[in-house]
Formats: sequence, C-alpha cells, structure tokens
Amino acid sequence: MEAASAMPATGDELLVVEGVRKYFPITRGIIFQKEIASVKAVDGVTFSIKPGETLGIVGESGCGKSTLARCIMKLLEPTDGKITFDGRDITGLSRSAMRPIRREMTMIFQDPYASLNPRKRVGFIIGEPLEVHGLGTPAEIKRRVQELLEVVGLNPEHYNRFPHEFSGGQRQRIGVARALSVNPKLIVCDEPVSALDVSVQAQILNLLKDLQDDFGLTYVFIAHDLNVVRHISDRVMVMYLGKVAEIASREVLYREPKHPYTGALLSAVPIANPDIGRGRAAVVLEGDVPSPVNPPSGCRFHPRCPRFVEGHCDVEEPPLYSFGRDQVATCHYPLERWPMTAEEMRRTGTKTSAEPLPA
Amino acid sequence: MALLEVKDLRTSFRTEDGVVRAVEGVNFSVEKGQTLGIVGESGCGKSVTCLTIMGLNPKRNTLTGGEALWKGNDLLAMKPSELRAVRGDEISMIFQDPMTSLNPVHTIGRQLIEAVLLHRDVTKRVARSRALELLKAVGIPRAETRIDDYPHQFSGGMRQRVMIAMALINDPDLLIADEPTTALDVTTQAQILALMKTLQEDFGSAIIMITHDLGVVAEVADDVLVMYAANVVEQAEVHDLFHRPQHPYTWGLMGSLPRLETDVERLTQIPGQPPSLLRPPNGCRFHPRCPYVMEVCKTTVPELLPTQRDPDHLQKCHLDEETKERESAKLLAATMVEAR
Repeated sequence: MEAASAMPATGDELLVVEGVRKYFPITRGIIFQKEIASVKAVDGVTFSIKPGETLGIVGESGCGKSTLARCIMKLLEPTDGKITFDGRDITGLSRSAMRPIRREMTMIFQDPYASLNPRKRVGFIIGEPLEVHGLGTPAEIKRRVQELLEVVGLNPEHYNRFPHEFSGGQRQRIGVARALSVNPKLIVCDEPVSALDVSVQAQILNLLKDLQDDFGLTYVFIAHDLNVVRHISDRVMVMYLGKVAEIASREVLYREPKHPYTGALLSAVPIANPDIGRGRAAVVLEGDVPSPVNPPSGCRFHPRCPRFVEGHCDVEEPPLYSFGRDQVATCHYPLERWPMTAEEMRRTGTKTSAEPLPA
Repeated sequence: MALLEVKDLRTSFRTEDGVVRAVEGVNFSVEKGQTLGIVGESGCGKSVTCLTIMGLNPKRNTLTGGEALWKGNDLLAMKPSELRAVRGDEISMIFQDPMTSLNPVHTIGRQLIEAVLLHRDVTKRVARSRALELLKAVGIPRAETRIDDYPHQFSGGMRQRVMIAMALINDPDLLIADEPTTALDVTTQAQILALMKTLQEDFGSAIIMITHDLGVVAEVADDVLVMYAANVVEQAEVHDLFHRPQHPYTWGLMGSLPRLETDVERLTQIPGQPPSLLRPPNGCRFHPRCPYVMEVCKTTVPELLPTQRDPDHLQKCHLDEETKERESAKLLAATMVEAR
C-alpha cells in the first residue's frame, strides 16, 4: 500500500486526481488568435484524498495551487488529466451535468471582503446555494440559515445584516456557513485564513476542525503558511511550478522531508522562539520562482537547488519516487536526514535507490 | 543618548464618526545597531506610531502629542523643511506593499537617483553609480541592466529589494520597516530578513520592525513592544518576552500561533474581536476578551509597570505576579520546546 498516498488506488477515495494539467494559452493577434506559448500553471498533478481527511497544499505564489483548486471544482476545465469525485469521473461533464455534483463540493475563498456580495443580506448569501439547488421552501431555508449561523458561531439574529457590518473573521465565518449550507462532502479551502489576524485565524482554524469532526467533512486546504498547514492537515502536498514536489503524511513531511525544496521551505519559516530561531543556519534559496511559461528543463527546481547535479537534474525529469509508507517525492538526490544546512545539502547527495512509482 | 527616544506619544484622528485615538502614550527608545520589534494585530496602532514619528499622517485631521527625540531634537516640533531633511536621509522607511509604494511610471533607477539628489549635492552620474551599488548590495541580479526597468518588470521580492535599496541609499541611522515581508512568500521572506540583518551589520543602522508575526520578531528583534488597541501592553527584551510573557494578550497571541516545532490539538483562541478605537472599552482595553478579567479591569486602566523580577520588563495588567508567573509557565510548557 506504499503508493496509496500518491497513486489512484481503487475503492474508497473521495477524490482522485490523475495527471491533471492546466495550460493557459498566450495568444497573439486580434482576429486570428495564434497561440504562441502557454502558461503551464498545473503540469501533471496526481493525488487522492480519502473521506474525512485533510490534504494541505503548500507552495509559493504562482506554483499553481489555486489553479489546481479551481480545476478540482471544475471552475476551470483541465487541459488534460482525469478527476474522479466520489466514484464518478467528472472531467468531461457539462455544466448542467455538473450542477448536482456542485452540491457535494463547495469552496471557501481567501478574501472575506471580496467573496461576499456587499448588496445582499447575510441570510440571502448563506441561503442562496440552497435556493439554487431547490433544497427546501423559503421558510425551511430561513430556519436552516439560522441554524448554520449558530453552527459557525454567529448570532442567528444577524440574519438581516449586510456583510459590511461584520469584521474580517466574522465574514470568513459567513463564508464557512455558505460552504456548509448544502451539506457537502468536500470543501476546498483556498487560503481561508491568510487575510486574518493571528487571534482570529486561530478561531477559524478551530472552527474548521470542529466542523470536520461534527460533519465528517473532507478538506483540501490550500495555504502558503507551513505552520497553519501543519496544524490542520493529515497529509501535505508541496507544489513547485505546477508540479508535485513531495506528498507525505504530516508527521513524516515535517520530520523527514525528502525533497530539497520542502527542506528549504521548512527552514525559511520563522520560529516564534528566539532560542531556536536565531541559531539555525537557514537554507536560503537564491532568486525567484522561474516563469511557468518556459519552465526549466529536467527537474524544475534545479536552478535553485543546493544539491543540483549537472548533467542529471537538468536533463532527466525526476519521477515520483516512493520513500516508504505515505511519502513520495520527485527528487533524484533526496535528503538523507533533517535538519540540514545548505552547505550540508551541497556536500552530500547520493542518487536515490528508491523505486519510482509506475506511471 | 539614545538615537531615538519616544516619550508619551499620542495620536488621534478626527473623523466624521468621532475622535479615533490610535496611539495612547507610547514610550520607547532605540539605540544604534539595535532592532526594536513592534508586534500587534491590524488596527493596534503600530503603523500609526511610526507614521507619527515620520510626520506622515495627514495634517488636516491629526492631533499629535508627546515627543519623539531624534538625536535630541523633537521630530514632532520640527518645521516641514527640517523634517524633510531628516526623512529619507537619517531616517528612512520601508512600506508593507512593494506593489504600490513604487511609482509605476518611472524606472526604478530614476526613483533611486531622486532619493539621492534630494539629500546630497552630487551629480546625476554619481547618484546613478550609488544607486547601482545599492541594487547590487541588495542582491538584484544584472543590476546594470535592471536599473532602467520599470517596477512592473520586477517580482514582489525583487521590488521589496528595490524598496530596501531606496531606504538605505543615504546610509540612514534608523530604518523603519512596516511589515516588510508580509506580502512575500516564506522563501523570499527569509532572503529579505537575512539581507536586512547583513545590511544592519554592515551599515550599523538601527531598525524598527513592525510586524504581526511573532516568528519574525523572535528572529530579528532585540527589544519588543506588544501593542493592543492603541496601547503598549508589554515591553521587554526578546528572550524575556518569549520565556516569561506577562500579559494575557501576549499569552493569547502565543497560544493562537500554530507552530512548526510543537503539536497542539486545539489552538488557544482569543475570543471576540479587537475593539473599535472610536469607542474603546472602559478600563483595560483587553478586558472584554480576557479570560482572567476581574472587576477592577472593567473600571481602571492598568499602568505600564516593571515586573518585580526585571525592571526592564514592562507590562500593563492588574493580575498579581504569582498568577502571571504560573500562567506563563503553563503556556510555555504547552507551546515551546527547549532549544536543542
């Protein structure tokens, strides 16, 4: 069962994503639009999620995590690949065929100021999904909305208020209530707490955890904050330039990362403890993330990687290697231990003997 | 004499809805080569404190009180022309959002050169070579060609480097950085923080680092102010603050932080929302959200007083020392791991 975490296994997965790609064309010309290049936002991502699980997705801005979320939700049509939700292949479904499935997967957005219609009352915002799917009479919907307000920790009497009357954290609670309204199986959370202050962020994280326990929800949780992802996830996927760098269970990923990029990310996180934070030699990556229009050859991380091996990493693209239970990483020269400094990373580095997963 | 000494700084804004008291009596001093961290949530007054020192609040509706002594001269009493001579030369500032704080219609070279020419009597050629030198110092690759690029041609991290270059171009004695890494990715944040550290070592500047991230404070600051609702609630040396936090709000901040190095099932959350500064609560500003609230907290504002153990560790809370010691030890046991 080693490969189960990354490869689509049969049976009980709620969501299976296989080789999903999303290319955005760059065109030239007005009438005859000629495609001259494409932004490879997501380039062959494979993973699966079991019911009741939380998969965290981390990566720097521009790594394709939000595009991937939108592909899963079918807000964007993937260029290639297959998405299976709850046993049904939803890749080619039309908008109308997709509609009943939308009841089972909902989304929480990043910006609680932009994602609520300022001209609608809170009751309408939360009840709209119910209305769209024809779930109940107006009276039933109202009752359900008030119940939802209570569930997310808001006053049910605030039913008739407008979004501007709420603070950022309360607005995000409204977003959570709306996502919950149709009793979904899967909630895709796209940076749900990154716009919030620390103390309010903790409230929302606790709320999401409680709701998962109460309603058996499955989350895809996208964030750039590794602390937050570690707190909420069961498994974590690290993305770099549209590709999977590493997928592992939370404990394993944070204790023994295999991919040098995961290592660099972990060592870049400031630690709220002056005794630990100051002494350590962080792995400071040079430069910026390259453009996804023209990604580097071979391993996409090679131009910034401390253990780049010339003639190998820039030529041969690393497959997903399997490292024991529940850990896969795309690196020819994985980290032997952790923590490591950039210097140590450079010095050592032997080719992995791990088996690549079957394509 | 301290480089900058701020005494009882007060700022309020007249608005249509009433007077917003954004800073209510802040005291601190910054020495050469030191880093002061100011930490707090949005709206706590940390940015306004620094904007007041720099004289950057709108004149029309701002009331300012107290003193900000810069090398002995009060910045708040200076004429605009005197202030302009200090600002951008001896004191400079890095703003939070590198996307909006550069002028999009001028090349970065022109903007950097302008900063030099405003304060130095040099030729354009000299100013340009100085600009180039700084761009190299902050690690912009191919600086010779990139100096003639426009801001939109740079990534977020690179723009923030340009901002840092601009802030350092006149060798300031004090650099005020207002959330300099908040808009950036962790890897870029690590680059920028490392860069600021090296530059501080090279130039010997003092830094005031405003942030909401306790992690950033722990990594870079020497002394820390914790602000809540326009007030300083705790003020201490950084190790002291993290080992012996004394204020319930600081405990709340530390407890609500998910951490890389320790596991907690549930984060300790601070209930409720920060108060409106238009109508702040009576007594201690934190009392409506405080789990240790007592009757006295609702009526009397506590003073910012030193703890018995350490005269340099100030805190603004009515709780007795014994309870504080006990609670802070409990929090540390739950959240912090020993240094390895």
